[in-house]
Amino acid sequence: MKAKKLAALLLTAAVAAGTLAGCGGDSTQADSNDVAGVEGTGGDSAGSNGEMKHFTAFFAVPGSEINDDNEIMLKIGELTGAICKETWLTGQTAQEAVGTLIAGGEYPDFIDGGDGAAQLYEAGALIPLDDYIDQYPNIKEYLTEEEWDKLRQDDGHIYWIQQFGNIYGEEKATTHNDEAFWIQTRVLEWAGYPEVHTMDQYFDLIESYQEANPTMEDGMENIPYTILCDDWRYFCLENAPQFLDGYPNDGSVIVDPDTLKVIDYNTTPTAKRYFQKLNEEYQKGIVDPESFTQTYDEYIAKLSTGRVLGMIDQWWDFAYNVNDALKQQGLDKQGCNYVPLPITIEEGIKNQWHNSGGVLNVSSGLAITTSCEDVEGALAFVDALLGQEVHDLRYWGIEGVDYEVDENGEFYKTEEMRMNASDTAYKASHMCSYSYFPNYSGTSRDNINAMSPQFQPKEFYDALSEDVQKCFEAYGAETYVDMLGTSEAPGAWYPMYSFSSNMTTATEGGMAWAKMDEIKHEYLPKVVMASDFESAWEEYMGVYEGCNPQAFLDEMQEELDRRMEAAEKYK
Amino acid sequence: MASMAKRKQKIKEPKIEITWKEIKRQKVLLIWSAAIVLYGIIFYYLPLGGWIMAFQNYRPKDGLFHSQFVGLAKFQQLFSDATFLRVIRNTLSMGVINLVVTFVMAIVFAILLNEIKSNGGKKVVQTISYLPHFLSWIIVTGILHDALSGTGIVNELLLKFGILDQPLNFFAHPKYFWPIVAFANVWKETGWNAIIYLSAITAIDPSLYEAASMDGAGRWSKIRYVTLPGIKPTIIILLLMNVGNVLNAGFEIQYLLGNGLVQSVSQTIDIYVLKWGISQNDFAIGTAAGIFKSLVSIVLIVIANMIAKRSGEERLF
Repeated sequence: MKAKKLAALLLTAAVAAGTLAGCGGDSTQADSNDVAGVEGTGGDSAGSNGEMKHFTAFFAVPGSEINDDNEIMLKIGELTGAICKETWLTGQTAQEAVGTLIAGGEYPDFIDGGDGAAQLYEAGALIPLDDYIDQYPNIKEYLTEEEWDKLRQDDGHIYWIQQFGNIYGEEKATTHNDEAFWIQTRVLEWAGYPEVHTMDQYFDLIESYQEANPTMEDGMENIPYTILCDDWRYFCLENAPQFLDGYPNDGSVIVDPDTLKVIDYNTTPTAKRYFQKLNEEYQKGIVDPESFTQTYDEYIAKLSTGRVLGMIDQWWDFAYNVNDALKQQGLDKQGCNYVPLPITIEEGIKNQWHNSGGVLNVSSGLAITTSCEDVEGALAFVDALLGQEVHDLRYWGIEGVDYEVDENGEFYKTEEMRMNASDTAYKASHMCSYSYFPNYSGTSRDNINAMSPQFQPKEFYDALSEDVQKCFEAYGAETYVDMLGTSEAPGAWYPMYSFSSNMTTATEGGMAWAKMDEIKHEYLPKVVMASDFESAWEEYMGVYEGCNPQAFLDEMQEELDRRMEAAEKYK
Repeated sequence: MASMAKRKQKIKEPKIEITWKEIKRQKVLLIWSAAIVLYGIIFYYLPLGGWIMAFQNYRPKDGLFHSQFVGLAKFQQLFSDATFLRVIRNTLSMGVINLVVTFVMAIVFAILLNEIKSNGGKKVVQTISYLPHFLSWIIVTGILHDALSGTGIVNELLLKFGILDQPLNFFAHPKYFWPIVAFANVWKETGWNAIIYLSAITAIDPSLYEAASMDGAGRWSKIRYVTLPGIKPTIIILLLMNVGNVLNAGFEIQYLLGNGLVQSVSQTIDIYVLKWGISQNDFAIGTAAGIFKSLVSIVLIVIANMIAKRSGEERLF
């Protein structure tokens, strides 16, 4: 009897050997359906026809997972008939995570490969969307013909929908979502809200504040200036020279708007001055000695204690975590919130830290993979997410719970609602913004409200902590953007990083780009820490030239020319 | 020692003739071994087919059968890359350091533990010492990061005792990286690795110790002349197996502890494969590096085995 069973087992194993992967896939599918069934009968999530579609998504950016019984997720499920389980990048780079998925050959239904999007396209993992787009009015409306064309890959198809930088109706610019020199409001308040325009002034201010106030109110020592340098996030150290010279965030090169030529910002005199300044400040003990060895988590923890006076970072990289933590601890009352400063290398250069208008980053976006069995259902879900009712649910929440409506139809929040919205546990169990699905900023279809609370001028201002309000008032600003001033988007090529981030070592320029990236990770910290800056800089420049940066610049120039030519069509 | 080998041959059972009856008798055993062979084929030999990638300009879209064949070009590219050569050096160095340190520590620890008279104390120490084995590297590196940070306990102690006058950032200096990795390995694995030696020690005939005592041997002499020779076969076999693992110097710990400042000493072959193979979509170069690693491992293990054979010690094959 036993032997028979064993033989049967063996036989099955042998037969199944060839199709092992397939079998595995099927059984997990069945499992997830089972779960769906259970949840469906659980009551509040049952859709009208009782059949809830379940999708999976992976976004190659860091994010927080929400609970499986998240209230708004289930509510959106009722309206759209679908639920999507999102997972995020943890502890890897986007390219590593995507590369691993490709090597495995199995994908979630939705994916945003981030910096690894081109790899997914190369691997044939994505479904062309062009034939579907016309059937879904909200998706169709989402981008203009020109923008859709920009998303086409070299085979002429569209594989992903860029989710961000899309402004509906009138733009409501409040937050500066991008990179800047940030400083705590307490420093500015102490100095009487001075005008700070150059890097030298910025560090002078921090130094004199630190001298007068070496500790926080509770006696913890201040950290005057820290630099996040963890893996791909080393842009906080790396790309400031482009901004200091008054150029916008093309990310990997500077583009001269007059001659339309690319310039390498790593080797400009400004770059040298910037790193030399950091070096001086490092020697003085102003730059946090742990800068180059701290992990992202340690950095966020540091900022959350309110000890750090200033740093360069992208708003999205720190603010969503740190502002909530400061608020929950009441540190905003000590002036620990950050505001951006319009800093350039010399007085009189117009800064372009902030650009108005949406930026269409064509290098990545929401894509549907070949593993998705219900492409039409998936796109219907995306379409539904762009409808106003669902969009309000995603970003505002539930009326009466997360926001109130006044007699003019304007949405607002109470202080308790704001406190809830900054509570991590509450967010995980209640809020569901599907933030890496296409979404709008700007004005709602009702022409009264903003697409999300942070863009609603009144709500935005009321939600600010007192220290930031006072600071804005002192500078005659109403928003973060006003602190910096704003410029028009620079040109049709913008932004160039959407090309360089998808380069791979398959081309000579891509190889150079990868090598440059590798050695900059090592030498930029070295240059800042060196006791003899000049010789360290010289050594760095020598190694840098060895990476053949010209090959990279040539390919960037080629792409720049191509983009300008493509833009001609729409003039 | 030659006599020992001969003795072994003598003990060998007489050859059993393969008859249907015999096969029937061993039915269950045969079925199980077939299953294991099948497992080996599916999970160890079939994947070797992927080695073809190393000789192609592999593109996932085209697959193994339609990618362009480029011969040894990828290997050439690999060995002309200064980064790869540095990565080999790092892997070998850390592998050897880890091997020596963890190996010696485990034996010393097992012997010391064996000398503890109180049974209860011994058990407590043993349990505590092998617990770190069950921690994942992410936790161990987290602890290390905290302990060795500027405000961590290590710096605090060094400052208090006046050994340093300002905190030292251990992770900013390439020269500390290998010792930190070695220390982490020792801390995590010593207790666990000692288990096998402890059991080997228990297997030593107590009458040998008694005899040694009669002859006037003290503690040291007993360790030297009874315990160590008693566990020598275990030591040699484990050493042989670990030599083949030298190039598996690690991935997680270096990946998690590394940063830009120390990347010239921290990156191992595995990290190279991830960085230049998987994340650059160049699976060919990753595979080539992997093949190189396997070949070196095989060569190392064969050499070690030969040396063991020459000197008449235990061996693997």
